[in-house]
Amino acid sequence: MARFASASVLAIVAAGSAAAQDQFAGTTIEAKLIGGQQYEALYSRIADWEAATGGKVSIISQKNHFELDKEYKADIAAGTVGWCVGSNHSSFASQYPTLFTDLTPLVPAETVGEFVPGNIAAATLDGRLVMLPRAQFDVSALYYQKSLYEDAGKAKAFAAKYGYDLAVPETWAQVRDQAEFFAAPPNFYGTQFAGKDEAIVGRFYELLVAEGGTFLNEDGSPAFNSPEGAKALQWFVDLYKAGAVPPGTTNYLWDDLGNGFASGTVALNLDWPGWSGFFNDPKSSKVAGNVGVAPAPKGGAGVRSGWSGFHGFSVTETCPDKEAAASLVAFLTNEDSQKLEAAAGPLPSRTAVWDHVIAQAKDDPYRSEVLAAFQETAATAFAVPPTPYWIEATNLVYPELQAAILGDKTAEQALADASDAVDELMQENGVY
Amino acid sequence: MTRVKLPPWLVLLLPAFIIIAAVVLVPLLLSLYSSFTPYHLTRPDTLWKVNFPFNYQKALTDANFWAAFGRTVLLLTVALNLEMLLGLGLALMVSKVTQGQRLLRTAMMFPMMFSPILVGFQFKFIFNDNVGLVNNALQSLGLADRAIPWLVDGNLALFAIICAEVWTSTSVFAILILAGLYAIPQDPLEAAKVDGCSPWQSFRFVTLPFLMPFIYIAMAIRSLDVARAYDIVQVMTNGGPARRTELLWTLIGRTGYVDARMGYANAMGYVAILLSIAFTVYFFLKLQRARRDLGMGD
Repeated sequence: MARFASASVLAIVAAGSAAAQDQFAGTTIEAKLIGGQQYEALYSRIADWEAATGGKVSIISQKNHFELDKEYKADIAAGTVGWCVGSNHSSFASQYPTLFTDLTPLVPAETVGEFVPGNIAAATLDGRLVMLPRAQFDVSALYYQKSLYEDAGKAKAFAAKYGYDLAVPETWAQVRDQAEFFAAPPNFYGTQFAGKDEAIVGRFYELLVAEGGTFLNEDGSPAFNSPEGAKALQWFVDLYKAGAVPPGTTNYLWDDLGNGFASGTVALNLDWPGWSGFFNDPKSSKVAGNVGVAPAPKGGAGVRSGWSGFHGFSVTETCPDKEAAASLVAFLTNEDSQKLEAAAGPLPSRTAVWDHVIAQAKDDPYRSEVLAAFQETAATAFAVPPTPYWIEATNLVYPELQAAILGDKTAEQALADASDAVDELMQENGVY
Repeated sequence: MTRVKLPPWLVLLLPAFIIIAAVVLVPLLLSLYSSFTPYHLTRPDTLWKVNFPFNYQKALTDANFWAAFGRTVLLLTVALNLEMLLGLGLALMVSKVTQGQRLLRTAMMFPMMFSPILVGFQFKFIFNDNVGLVNNALQSLGLADRAIPWLVDGNLALFAIICAEVWTSTSVFAILILAGLYAIPQDPLEAAKVDGCSPWQSFRFVTLPFLMPFIYIAMAIRSLDVARAYDIVQVMTNGGPARRTELLWTLIGRTGYVDARMGYANAMGYVAILLSIAFTVYFFLKLQRARRDLGMGD
């Protein structure tokens, strides 16, 4: 009897496996995926999904996300949304309220439960789970030159000037003091920051939250023109005025910052996890072997800054075979897929994969330090406000932030002007 | 049943009419219509809500729009005149070269072969405050002891953009003016020499009037073509920082494609078209006058 039962189980399993193999036979999923070396290694797993399900994947577009964003908008405008799977990003997702479907009925709840809850919360807009996160989670931690903290002369001079001991900064006020202290322009700067586009608004946003403020009120109206906002913006203004940052910083974006820190001319640098290998590689960096990584500092409210974002995959509302598309998305974000991506350095968005990468790095002190710093920062990280007007709002806010930093306006005036512009934007779009 | 018989001239011109209507007229009318709507790329239904004259009112009362408008006029005026003067000088010098002139003419055209986006990256690097060639040269020569923020200061950033634009487009003027120099009849120049004119007088009163139609043709072409500098500005400063180098092209491009507010962007575009028309009409009238002065008729 027992033998009969086990034979039956085997038969059922075999039949089930054959059925799974043909589950999506004849289905072709058209996909628009983010391109670039960092992202494409994962796509080698698509063949495994095809073998396992019988479905086929046709990649019809592969570009960086800024280009994909424009393509999605053009697709929505032209009604050419017959494709099924698209790369998505938490900072952009809210701009496509009609493009992507809710994955909740398509993906088992226990699968969703295996992701870091904060990531799932940021991927959920108006109660709809619009994407599943891949192992491309981004939050910034503080890179610094270790030798600066091992110099007894500097430590003595700092303590005499500021009245407290020189140590790796834990607050943004300490970062300001130390950046001013270390700066020796034009050859060496205390710190630097991304100075334009969404990047500067993101940095301002996380300092604002760290100071206890909020960017938008519940009704979508601007809330950043507040004492907390003024304090956050003043931090940027003070550093620029003191010459503690490169004078061109208001034109800098991520590559300029990464290359700047790697050139050895910057003491402290809040930056993304993707740079950790680059900074410590003697072939690309003059500070290799001298790089320390600490969790992002805290603001006046005791809150750690942690503007975060992540890449993921979504399924379109008009996809003819949503089940197959969701199966592909779940496959590309499953544990094995995330382990593959995280092995190259990017941070995972599944709890179990975090544990896995930390265990893997235990013999590499630098990698362990990097992971510990980013894990601690990730624990309290937060995404951009869930409004479809985030990118438009940042385009109105960043010139005003720049005006304050460059001294064209006071911080208060710049925030008032930015707030008026965002208020007008929201009202024009009928948000309130 | 009678077949409609179209006149032969219409039949012959019909393909051209259809193609022009499809690629120019229809998009033009559609963009004009969309400028009367709150059309947002990600919300296609907004194309069917007319909100005229909201977009135009908003553009015309927006200080940032007029600041960008003024800056664009300034950039056009300075860049075109500088290119004309440098192109004229270059053409005059090249025309005097007796050996290797072909090689020089070819070398002169090199900047035109670069894509504007590459020129933008090249000059962004040259004027970078930290690792740029200009600052490094100035500091090495002891002419500056601090990093000059070329792409941050409003005037310096416009200067840097004009440098890039002049570098890439001066040769257009030089080539057209050089063609003009070859077309000048030698008799009036020889007569001037016989009458005892100095080289400057020969240039000012004989060569230059003959060259003016060529200069105005070059000006008219470049005033239409100069919007290609969008790539350069986009890469070097993207209109920033703090809108200090914001031009109509960066403002409209960002509004339409990044913010997806195509209706408003088109309204700004139609106001900006007046600028292009004004410049082109101005140069065309100047060209006509110069041709009349030379007795070349209208």
